[in-house]
Amino acid sequence: MSIINNHPERDPDATLAVGGNELLVSGSPTFHTLTDQVSGIVENKTPPKWYLLFAMAVSGLMLLIGSIGWLVWEGTGVWGLNNPVGWGWAIVNFVFWVGIGHAGTLISAILFLLRQQWRTAINRFAEAMTIFAVISALVFPGIHVGRIWLAYYMFPVPNQMLIWPNFRSPLLWDIFAVGTYFTVSTLFWYVGLIPDLATLRDRATKVRKKVLGFFAMGWRGGNRQWQHYEKAYLMLAGLATPLVLSVHSVVATDFATSLVPGWHTTLFPPYFVAGAVFSGFGMVMTLALIARKIYGLENIITLDHLEKMNKIILVTGSMVGYSYMTEFFISWYSGNEFEVFTFVNRAFGPYAWAYWIMFTCNVITPQIFWFKKLRRSIPVMFVASIFVNIGMWFERFVITVSSLSRDYLPAAWDYFSPTLWDILTFIGSFGLFFTFFLLFLRFLPMVALSEVKGTLHAADPHNYPEETGGAK
Amino acid sequence: MSTTNNHLQGKAYWRSLEQLAETDEFKDLVKQEFPADAAELTNPVSRRKFLTLMGASMALAGLTSCRRPVEKIIPYVIKPEEITPGKPQYYATNMPFGTESCGLLVESHEGRPTKIEGNRLHPATQGSSNVYMQAEMLNLYDPDRSQVVLRKGRNASWQAYRAAWKKQAKRFTESGGEGLAVLTESFSSPSLMRLAQAFRTKFPQARLVAYDSVSDATIYAGLQAATGALARPDYAFDKARVVLSLDADFLQMDSNDIQYSRDFTSQRKVHTEQDEMNRLYVVEGVFSVTGGMADHRLRIQSGQIGMFAAALAAELGAQGLEIQAPAVSAEIDTGWLKALAADLLANRGASLVVGGRRQRAEVHTLIALINDALGNTGKTVSYSSNPDRMVSNLTAFTELTRDMQAGRITALVLLGGNPVYQAPADLDFAAALEQVPYSVHLSSHVDETSTKTTWHIPRAHFLESWGDVSGYGGAGIIQPLIAPLFDGKNCVDVLSDLISDEATWAYAVVRETWKSLLPAAHFEKNWRQVVHDGFTSLPRETQLSFDHQQAQAAVLAANYYVPAATPESMELVLSASFATYDGRYANNGWMQELPHPITKLTWDNVALMSPATAQQLQVKNESVIKINRAGTELIVPVWVLPGLADNTLNLELGYGRNIGRVATGAGIHVGGLRTLKQMDIASGVTVVKAAGSYKLACVQDYHGLDEEQLAAHAIEERLPSIVRESTLENYRKDPEFAMALAETTDPQSMSMWKEQQYTTGNQWGMAIDLSACTGCSACTIACQSENNIPVIGKDEVSRGRDMSWIRLDRYFSGEVDDPEMIFQPVACQQCEMAPCENVCPVAATTHSSEGLNEMAYNRCIGTRYCANNCPYKVRRFNFFNFSKDMPEIVQMAMNPDVTIRFRGVMEKCTYCIQRINVAKIGAKNEGRDLADGDVVVACQQACPTNAIAFGNILDPESEVSRIKSRNRDYALLGELNLQPRTTYTARLRNPNPAIAAPGEHYV
Repeated sequence: MSIINNHPERDPDATLAVGGNELLVSGSPTFHTLTDQVSGIVENKTPPKWYLLFAMAVSGLMLLIGSIGWLVWEGTGVWGLNNPVGWGWAIVNFVFWVGIGHAGTLISAILFLLRQQWRTAINRFAEAMTIFAVISALVFPGIHVGRIWLAYYMFPVPNQMLIWPNFRSPLLWDIFAVGTYFTVSTLFWYVGLIPDLATLRDRATKVRKKVLGFFAMGWRGGNRQWQHYEKAYLMLAGLATPLVLSVHSVVATDFATSLVPGWHTTLFPPYFVAGAVFSGFGMVMTLALIARKIYGLENIITLDHLEKMNKIILVTGSMVGYSYMTEFFISWYSGNEFEVFTFVNRAFGPYAWAYWIMFTCNVITPQIFWFKKLRRSIPVMFVASIFVNIGMWFERFVITVSSLSRDYLPAAWDYFSPTLWDILTFIGSFGLFFTFFLLFLRFLPMVALSEVKGTLHAADPHNYPEETGGAK
Repeated sequence: MSTTNNHLQGKAYWRSLEQLAETDEFKDLVKQEFPADAAELTNPVSRRKFLTLMGASMALAGLTSCRRPVEKIIPYVIKPEEITPGKPQYYATNMPFGTESCGLLVESHEGRPTKIEGNRLHPATQGSSNVYMQAEMLNLYDPDRSQVVLRKGRNASWQAYRAAWKKQAKRFTESGGEGLAVLTESFSSPSLMRLAQAFRTKFPQARLVAYDSVSDATIYAGLQAATGALARPDYAFDKARVVLSLDADFLQMDSNDIQYSRDFTSQRKVHTEQDEMNRLYVVEGVFSVTGGMADHRLRIQSGQIGMFAAALAAELGAQGLEIQAPAVSAEIDTGWLKALAADLLANRGASLVVGGRRQRAEVHTLIALINDALGNTGKTVSYSSNPDRMVSNLTAFTELTRDMQAGRITALVLLGGNPVYQAPADLDFAAALEQVPYSVHLSSHVDETSTKTTWHIPRAHFLESWGDVSGYGGAGIIQPLIAPLFDGKNCVDVLSDLISDEATWAYAVVRETWKSLLPAAHFEKNWRQVVHDGFTSLPRETQLSFDHQQAQAAVLAANYYVPAATPESMELVLSASFATYDGRYANNGWMQELPHPITKLTWDNVALMSPATAQQLQVKNESVIKINRAGTELIVPVWVLPGLADNTLNLELGYGRNIGRVATGAGIHVGGLRTLKQMDIASGVTVVKAAGSYKLACVQDYHGLDEEQLAAHAIEERLPSIVRESTLENYRKDPEFAMALAETTDPQSMSMWKEQQYTTGNQWGMAIDLSACTGCSACTIACQSENNIPVIGKDEVSRGRDMSWIRLDRYFSGEVDDPEMIFQPVACQQCEMAPCENVCPVAATTHSSEGLNEMAYNRCIGTRYCANNCPYKVRRFNFFNFSKDMPEIVQMAMNPDVTIRFRGVMEKCTYCIQRINVAKIGAKNEGRDLADGDVVVACQQACPTNAIAFGNILDPESEVSRIKSRNRDYALLGELNLQPRTTYTARLRNPNPAIAAPGEHYV
């Protein structure tokens, strides 16, 4: 993570923050103006635009519920799966959403441990996205099984049949990995929210005050509370950090431990993690750009923040591109005819269209961020972030479907085409995600107030306005 | 597995079945007459269902648990003495099939037949079977079978039918039968023939004619010229070292295929380098399974085969054989012909030339003459006549139709058959039938003919009726396994009813016949023995002598010249359908869904053509063409098949029948292209490309590989190690060639820890001899019947969800337009280090101590990871509840020893674990260990060539161990080190060194 610059080039408008660093928020805010700005979003009247977006999101959610209902009623056959291609869009969507769910914890935990204070502007937002993405992801392993009503067989529940799940199966590791990740991420997010919930509580009245008071868990902002809080936060960050790496590594083993050519490769865990961070930052970028515009948060989520995220996209995108090349090289180097064919088939076979969409979006797109001008251009980064998301969905599609469709025995080969229900379920999962996300934007502070405040001059015990010339 | 019991012991159950018939459910079922629509067995996506669901989606959690059907069980109140619930009984019977018959042993559970096997005591089947025998199980339980007597389309009764006939009979008794005609299918049955003679005696002026749309009539006619009688050729493939097939498909579609497959492949089972092997030359215009077994295959237009035979006779004559060839010249590869002639001459008396039924009579005369000149008569071929045989006679049928047209026939009784559908188009049988005031049609379905006759009477299935057969090696009795499900009668009943004044029972008729056949002393004992055995070696057939001079004269008098087909005037070959035969299996889901062995298509018939012809017509797979033959036009879909002769189209008969929920919508009726003069091979056909396309359901090669060089190249690269083959000559030089074709690894060195060892008890294994596998598909359908594999419909098959546990992979090698073919049956390989097992999160598939990879269906939640991780791709997923809409009557065909799988569950071959367990329990009860041969799995039992061996691999004396010890034994994808229990014996071909070998090129 050394690329993340702690000392960005001096911006003429910027002022110095704690420890002589530049101030991470612009417009010289004070504690009070920040509190007003961020809490105001939650407390003011709901903007009509929100209702419009929420209606769209809920429609998408209904589509998901309807599609799942039809799936449960009729059977897995409503999807386009066939004999060689046993996994299709459901698994692709699962990996896609889990991947997106990587950015949040990376930002809040790893960057916290690395003392990257610029993270404070986006971490709340990114963590929320993580949780909702993981919820969207978790829908799919549940519904993709043939007998959904017996999916609980996968959990190690003591039962009258005296059967445990099979601990050798990577699908079981998945249950634990994603389950743990979801739990820790949620806990981490909630702990971070406590001081801000207390802030909101203090500004609220009546029922609202009571509800917020319940969730704020009696936070008073005392020194002892802060001391405990900081310790807890640090420990959770320490716990979450390995999970960022483990969860997608384990998802990667779903593929890597099999013997399907194109899946059976030791490269997968690091490659999947890099891809996950890449896609996660892409999604954070897309959402942050929209939210900061709509809610006028340009002073908190500044162009500097966005540029830093673009640098991460550039790095992880290049890692993903490197992995693509490595896969090709290794398949050729292995001398295994099945491996060689799988990769040539990906690029030039019936799924070549998907491969080249993936390649263009994931390998070529991030390279534009070598140029500072493009890195700081809002329209460019918005389009690029969407490309990254498209590309990463196709990456999972190419891995899952093209490998299965042509494996060992040519007589068993077949082509996969999605049905309407595959498509509706996928669209519906966005409905689920955005429903949660819009509710979050409406009811919770989308910026980690207490943490941003910690970067201000006022938080510096040695702060004297006349010395720094910053705060007024 | 005893074959005990006789007809009398079945009685107790029949009565209880009648009791069953009193229930309301059963009556409702009977009332369901011929649902005309309902094209597919499952229609998974319907809008209405979806809307219902949208409203109810909130209640889903509750609903899902109610979806399993609630079933009522009716126990015996008083248990019949000879029936132990859960323990099947086996009865021998016979299946008539034209003039041929197959000996059956039918498994019956509590009086309900569930599985057909070959009868080991029958000389032709000897325990094995073909696809049609297996499929009869489903025909018995066809819910669309006709269930009531109909008079002009309205419900009537047997009494009404009898009363109507009595009036007719009175009239015809006075007139001696003037104006009365009976049209039957061809048969070979002592009882039917006795009744036929009685009919002729009673009505001397009446007509009795047999007609089949697919028959050996041309062969009989051709041999009549040489033997003077209606002779059937009996081939001894096991005595022939060199076989030449001229358009004959003796391994699949031609008569007596089971015996001929076994005899032929018995000469191809090479155990060691010292063993000898026969050699097969095939000359054909269409691609047959027999052609796939050829060591040398020459593709010439089917119409040119006669000229090839003439050229061969000339070449044989030139090489010194005493034969005079008819004077025609054909453009034949002379090097090939010379080598063939030399090979035949070198094996005089041990060679054999066989001709296909599509060839004209004179070609068969010439073939018989060549065989005789080669000294084969009496050695590899003999000719026999049978007094019980009624052969299809197109001439008599034509005369009858003309007389009907002219109004000279006043009453016509059709015993089976379906002439409106099957008669040549230019005969216009339907119009002639309208001129007949009184007509009766005995038929299993209300079909094309039934709707045009005054009376339709339901026909009983042979498993519901008494009868007899006579044929190769003796005669047998057809005994019923179950009382008629739908109040049907069989041919014996109806024919005997025509001539007798009082009601008769087929059982009495058959017994009466056999009183004259069996020794008079101890008749009852002998009768019981025949019923028990199913077959007895009665000398019903007479060997005929071959008159060389007469045949030679007939040959010289005949004209063999046929102009070659050209792009402007193509040749059309109309062949019996692999799936539906002449249409009789059209409403059979197993057959419709059984992939054609060569095209791998299901549910449709197509115009097959060679790649060159397709290119010239600018069509590809699923294109549509318009065929014009003498003014009759037909639009059909195209499938490009390498190996066909150029300018030849091949269409299968037997499709396009709207007689039931399965048949409706499947394929196109092409009978309209048949004419009297050219029934099977038509010339002068013009073909143009038509607009549009037609979706076909193919289970292999989902798009033309020639379109995709990448895939073709990969296949070419990997196939030599997937289907290993070589020539006998190379095998002798390099006995270990099969091992050298792929990398092998020491299994122990590849594991990080000590693997589970399978060193005690029964360790099951299978060996499949690719040299003996003809691709006949009997294993696939036997497996379907044994293991309750669902039929899923064309739509689901085209989505790639075919359920067969045995996938019969077909690969081509050699030249793209003239390839060689090889089959490889692939079912679960029962890997010792099964990759499916460790990836299942719920441990639903695990390993047994006997080395079986087992599925616990009720533990399976359907993650499908096991299927993904199976390199053989032999696991099948229940994408829907495929058995949900199965009619109650079809449920009777299900094997009670095998679970019906619910939707969302993975399934696959189990090595017939239910059979293993039955054998184990039997051995335990007898206090002994299992012996080799105690367990016979369904595919192994069906296989007519004994290409599949199964048993304990730890027993060095077992058949499977002996075959696995061959040096050509190899594991498919052995380099993955999965230790599969199924292994393959590399295929050998035995090409003639004098003919250039085809290239090593796979597609």
